[in-house]
Amino acid sequence: MAGTNNIVEAEHISKSYVGVQALDDVSITIKEGEIKCLAGENGCGKSTFVKIIAGVENATSGTIRIGGKEMTKHTAKDAIDAGIQVIFQDLSLFNAMSVADNIAMNKLIKEGKPLTNQKEIRKIASDALALIGVDIPLDAQIQELSIANRQLIAICRALALDAKLLFMDEPTTALTKNEVDSLLNIVMGLKKRGIAVVFISHKLDEVMRIADSITVIRDGHKIGDFAASEIDSKKLAYYMTGREVDYQQYERKNDSEDALLEVKNLTKKGNFEDMSLKLRKGDILGLTGLLGAGRTELAFSIFGMNKPDSGEIYVEGKKVTINNPDDAIDLGIGLVPEERAIQGLFLSKSVNENVAAAILKRIKGFLGSIDSNRSRELSRKAIDQFRIKVYNEDTVISTLSGGNQQKALIARWAATGPKIFILDTPTVGIDIGSKAEIYEYIQQFAAEGTGVILISDEVEEIVANCNRVIVMFDGHKVKEYTEEEMKAPDIKEQINRLVESGKPGKEAAQE
Amino acid sequence: MKFLKKIDNTQRFLIVIIVIYCILVQSRNSAFLSLATLFTMFRSAAGTIILSMGVLMVMISGGIDVSFPAIAIFGGYTSLRICMACGIQSMFLTFAISIAIGIVLGVGNAVLINILKLEPFIITLSTASVYFGLMTILVGTKNVGATDLPAQFKTLSKMKLITTTNQYGGEIGLSVFIIPVAICVVLTWFILRKTLIGKGIFAMGCNNEAARRAGFNVNLLRIFIFGYAGFLAGVMGVIYIAGTNSVNPVSLVGTEMSVIACVVIGGASPTGGYGTIFGTLLGVILYYLFSQTLVYLGLSASWQSFFMGIVLLISLITTSWQRRVQNRKNFIYTE
Repeated sequence: MAGTNNIVEAEHISKSYVGVQALDDVSITIKEGEIKCLAGENGCGKSTFVKIIAGVENATSGTIRIGGKEMTKHTAKDAIDAGIQVIFQDLSLFNAMSVADNIAMNKLIKEGKPLTNQKEIRKIASDALALIGVDIPLDAQIQELSIANRQLIAICRALALDAKLLFMDEPTTALTKNEVDSLLNIVMGLKKRGIAVVFISHKLDEVMRIADSITVIRDGHKIGDFAASEIDSKKLAYYMTGREVDYQQYERKNDSEDALLEVKNLTKKGNFEDMSLKLRKGDILGLTGLLGAGRTELAFSIFGMNKPDSGEIYVEGKKVTINNPDDAIDLGIGLVPEERAIQGLFLSKSVNENVAAAILKRIKGFLGSIDSNRSRELSRKAIDQFRIKVYNEDTVISTLSGGNQQKALIARWAATGPKIFILDTPTVGIDIGSKAEIYEYIQQFAAEGTGVILISDEVEEIVANCNRVIVMFDGHKVKEYTEEEMKAPDIKEQINRLVESGKPGKEAAQE
Repeated sequence: MKFLKKIDNTQRFLIVIIVIYCILVQSRNSAFLSLATLFTMFRSAAGTIILSMGVLMVMISGGIDVSFPAIAIFGGYTSLRICMACGIQSMFLTFAISIAIGIVLGVGNAVLINILKLEPFIITLSTASVYFGLMTILVGTKNVGATDLPAQFKTLSKMKLITTTNQYGGEIGLSVFIIPVAICVVLTWFILRKTLIGKGIFAMGCNNEAARRAGFNVNLLRIFIFGYAGFLAGVMGVIYIAGTNSVNPVSLVGTEMSVIACVVIGGASPTGGYGTIFGTLLGVILYYLFSQTLVYLGLSASWQSFFMGIVLLISLITTSWQRRVQNRKNFIYTE
C-alpha cells in the first residue's frame, strides 16, 4: 500500500503558453510507493504537468513542494536531486553512445564528479540491467538496438539513479507482452522499496492492473482522482473525453464486386512470401499479425517503396508496375505510414505545407510555382473537416499533439482523393477521442467508395473497422476472414489466437 | 587484441590505405621508411595535429568551427609583436599571451552562438573575419623575418629532443614541438574520455535536448568547448610562427578546411556525437603523407588535395551507404 509521506505536492499549477492555457489550476499529490496513472487525451496537458514537475518547464503560477519543501525556482537539476526521474516518450537517449554510458549518464551528472571511471560506469549499467533482469551488451551503441531495448535502457537509466519518483510517458507502446509483464513486475518491486511511479499511458488495461490511483486530466483541468478499483476502461474513456465512446462495427454497403486493387502472389525475399489480396470499393481490409509479420513491408511494396521480387499488382483490373510513390499517387493510392514523425510528416513545417504535400502537382500554378492561396484554402478546409485542433494553418506541425498530427496526415492523403487508401497502424500513441474520430473518417472514406487497407496490432481496432481481415505471420498469409466470418461473436478471440500462434501459416509453409 | 576490437571501420580503412601507400612509396624510395622522414613529417604536422584536436571536440559536440586559423594567428602574431615590443624572452609568457587571446576569442564564439542561437558555422564564419580584421587593425600585418624573431621563438624552432641522420648525412631531429603536441593530444583524450565534461560533449552532439534534460548545462559546455578550441589555437599560433621561422600573418588564413577534412576523414560524425582521437590522428597522418611524399611517386604536390578528396569521398560514401541500407531496412527514406 502507498505510504503516508507525500513525495510531491503540486498545488494550483497553471501554465499558459502564448495564447493557450495548457494547465489550469491542477493540484496533484503523489505519495511514497504509490503507483499512479495520469490519464488524459493527447494535448490535455498531462505532459506539460510532467515537464513542470521535472523542472524542464516553469509553471506560470502555483506551488510545488517536494518532500515538504517548497521549491521557489524549480530546475531540472533540482528535480533530479530530489529523485524525480522522467522517461520521456522520445526516450532522450544518446544514440551514438554506448549502453553503459547512457544508463550511467544521469547518475554521473547527479554525483557531479568531474572525472569518470569506465569500470564504475559499467558497474552502474550492469547493476541497473540486472534489476530488470535483461541482458544487453554494455558496449553496444543505442542506435544498434531495437526500440524495445532502447526503452529498457531508458528505464535502467532512471533506475540507476535510485529515483524516488519515476514518470513513465507511454512506456509500454513498443514492448511485447512479455516485456510489459516484466516491466510491471519491476514497477511492483520499486513500489515495495517506497518508490512512486506515475504512468502516462494509453494502454490503460495493462497499467490499471497495478495502479493504486488514477488522475484524469481533460483540457488542462483535473477531472478527479479515482481509486483504480472503482473505475473501468469505459468510465475512464468517458472522463478523459467527456463523451461516451462506442465503436460501431463497420459494414460494407457497396455492392460492386470489381477489384480496385488485386495483389497476386507478391513475394519479397525476407519480407513476405506469396501474398495475394483483393480489395473492392468500400472494403476496409484489415491486415494484422505480430510485429515483423511483413504487413508494413507489403504496404510499402504496394506504394512503390519496396520493390517486390515477383508477383503482380492490378489496379482496377489493369496490371501495373509501381516503381515509386509518385506512380502510386498517380494510380490513386495513398499511404499513411507507421512512423508518422519519421516517415510521414515534415515536422518543422506548417500544417499547411504538410497537408498540401501530396497534391503539389495539382496546386501548382504558372511556371510550376505553388499556388499558396489554393494550398491555404485546402488546409483550412482540412482543419475544419478533420477537426484538427490548431491555432491556424501556419502552426508548425511538431507543436501539435500526436492525434492532431495524424489527422493532418490523413487530411493530406484525403486531399489526393485516393481510390486505395492504406493506413499503417494509424492510432498508435493516439488518445481515445482522436481514435474514435479517425475510425469515423476511415469508415467514411470506405462508405464513399474508397478501398481501405488498415494495418493494425489492435484486434479491437481491426474488428471494429474491417469487414474483411487477413492475418499474417512470419511473412505469410495465415488466414483470410470473410465478411461472414467477421460476424462471429467470438471473432476477437479467434483473431487473437491466430495472431499469437500463427499456426496455420507455418503448417502451410511446410507443405 | 583489445585494441583491434576498439578500432572502428573508418580507422581500419585509413590504416590499410596508409600501409599500402607507405609500401608503395618505400618501393620507389628506400630511404622513405626512416626516423628522419618521421621527424620531418612530424615537424610540419605539429600545428595541424593541435588544431585538429579542437575541431574534433567541436564536431563531436555537434558544432563546427571555421574561425580557428584566425584565432591561432591572432594569438601567435599578437604574442610575437608584444614580445618584440617589450623585449620579452620568456617562453612561458609567449605561450600565455597567445593562449589567453585564444581562449577569449573562442569563448566569444560560444557566447555569440548561445545568445543568437544560430548555427556555429555561420557564427564562426563571421567571427573568423571579424577576428582577423581586428588583428590587422590593432596589430598590423607586417612580415617578421627570421632574424627579427625573439630568442624564444628561435629556440623553439631549433630545439631537438633526439637526433638522427638522413640519407645525405644531414642531421634531423625530433622537434621539441612533440611536447606541446603530446600535451594537447593527451589532454583532449583525457577530457573526452575520462571526464564528465567529455560525456557531456558527446551527449550534446547526439541529442542536445536530451543532454539538457539529463541535467547538462549545454551553454556552459559550449563555452568550454570553444574556449578549449581557442586554447589549442593559441598554442598552435606560437608553434606555427616558430615552425615557419618567420611570419607572414596572412598565410594561415584559409587552412581551416584542410584541418576539418582531416577530422572528417578520421571518422568524426559531421552531425555530432561521434569521433575519435586515433581516427583524427590517422587523418592528419594521411594528409601529410600525401603532401610530403607524392614527389617520390613522381607526382607533384598538387595531387595531394585530389587524393585527400578521394579518400574523403570514399569514407563518406561507405558510411552513408551503410546508414542508407540500415534506414531502408526500417523503411526510412532520407534521400
